[in-house]
Amino acid sequence: MSLDFSVLLRFQEALALGLWTTVKLTLICIVLGCSLGFLVGLSRTSPSAIVRGIASIYVEFFRGTPVLIQLFWIFFCLPLVLGVELSNLASGVIALTLYMGAITSETFRASLKSVGREQMDACIALGLPRRVQVTNVILPQAVLRAAPTLLSNCISLFKESALVSAVGMADLMFVGQNISNNTARPVEVLTIVALIYFAIAFPLTRAVTLVEGRILKKLAI
Amino acid sequence: MTSASAPLVSIRSLHKSYGPHIQVLKGLDIEMKPGERVVVIGPSGGGKSTLLRVMMGLEKIDSGSITFGGKPYISSANADAKTAINTDVRRSIGMVFQHYTLFPHLSVIQNLVLAPCKVRGEKKASATQRAQALLERFGLGGKANAFPAQLSGGQKQRVAIARALMLDPKLMLFDEVTSALDPELVAEVEQVILQLAEQNLPMMIVTHDMWFAKNIASRVIFCAGGVVVEDGPPEQVLGSPREERTRDFIDRVFHIKQ
Ligand SMILES: Nc1ncnc2c1ncn2[C@@H]1O[C@H](COP(=O)(O)OP(=O)(O)O)[C@@H](O)[C@H]1O
Ligand SMILES: [Mg+2]
Repeated sequence: MSLDFSVLLRFQEALALGLWTTVKLTLICIVLGCSLGFLVGLSRTSPSAIVRGIASIYVEFFRGTPVLIQLFWIFFCLPLVLGVELSNLASGVIALTLYMGAITSETFRASLKSVGREQMDACIALGLPRRVQVTNVILPQAVLRAAPTLLSNCISLFKESALVSAVGMADLMFVGQNISNNTARPVEVLTIVALIYFAIAFPLTRAVTLVEGRILKKLAI
Repeated sequence: MTSASAPLVSIRSLHKSYGPHIQVLKGLDIEMKPGERVVVIGPSGGGKSTLLRVMMGLEKIDSGSITFGGKPYISSANADAKTAINTDVRRSIGMVFQHYTLFPHLSVIQNLVLAPCKVRGEKKASATQRAQALLERFGLGGKANAFPAQLSGGQKQRVAIARALMLDPKLMLFDEVTSALDPELVAEVEQVILQLAEQNLPMMIVTHDMWFAKNIASRVIFCAGGVVVEDGPPEQVLGSPREERTRDFIDRVFHIKQ
């Protein structure tokens, strides 16, 4: 039996739709997850032991358990706990946001630490109000320093998002599996699906190197 | 409080410790008149930086008080009490640090205009104009859009001075601002500070540079062990100190044999 990639031509549209779902899900969870991660990262430097404790339990739990189990838990248990039906998209967004929040919070924590006391001294000596210190000095430096690692976190999320297919969300992976079942051509289909993931992830991994080299060197931070 | 002899800064019985065991300032009294340029010298670890940091409002104090232009500025009744800092007064003081502390993610001009725009609500166009003029004056006209990492140490320090001046301070504090510089870059920074001295801007300067101390100071204070040991005109303190400890220090640090 020879390989025949032509079967896939019929499914261009389905694959495009699946890819769109994957990209949409990833982008939403990047925005929500990074915001959550920044807040949790900040909380882990809080003077309150309770705030620090809650934040670190959350982070350790989500970093220390398989994403697949987190997904199942949120798809099947959370509706029971909350007593409401959640759409596939909503559950996927919640699960991956919580996962992304946990991993990026570690990234932000390290970068927040590296914005040193001297920068704070300079802020005070210039009379900058607290709000300006955070938004104009601390946040931009923390984000810049975190940028390469955050980009890697985003690429991981993009690939990990394939797990939502396991709970029936029609993402790229799910569509790929469906086509492969219908055509009985798993090798061709999964190869193409892998290539699609790769075509998006690879330029991004190159971008990480670029960001690291260019921006950080220019700012020397 | 506008008479010529009224003090600009009056430090009374200033005590400061880091934790229970490190007593750094042990009852410091210093009075500074308007237009004075005070150079503070003393052994490393003697509390010179701490004094300047306290005056900038960066540190809590145990007890004592500081007034500025006759107004209460910093005070604390005892080590357990809160250090009260008048932030309005603090805005009239500027400080330059040993390690530049420019904002690395902002260009030179953005470093200069951030505080005037955010603190005083100055229009960006007007702040930018003032900043550009200041940069030209300091020989940095072409560096407005450079980032700090692209500058030499001497250039960075001149930018840091310009940044502080954007807020029209009534007193400038310089903490060993040339200590981190390569020797050939020291003069360009000291020239800028000497320029400011010509305009009678009051300043307090910590330095180990003998030539600079002599040329900039209208008064020299020798600080050691957390107290003022000797205080007088530069010819006296640097030239023929009265106190033995001052003499030892000057001999050692400045290699001047009496
Ligand atoms: N943040 C701090 N925490 C604890 N000890 C400090 C701190 N800053 C300074 N010190 C100590 O206080 C003393 C005075 O330091 P400093 O004011 O920097 O002296 P100088 O500038 O005269 O060299 C030193 O012994 C130093 O180790
Ligand atoms: Mg010092």
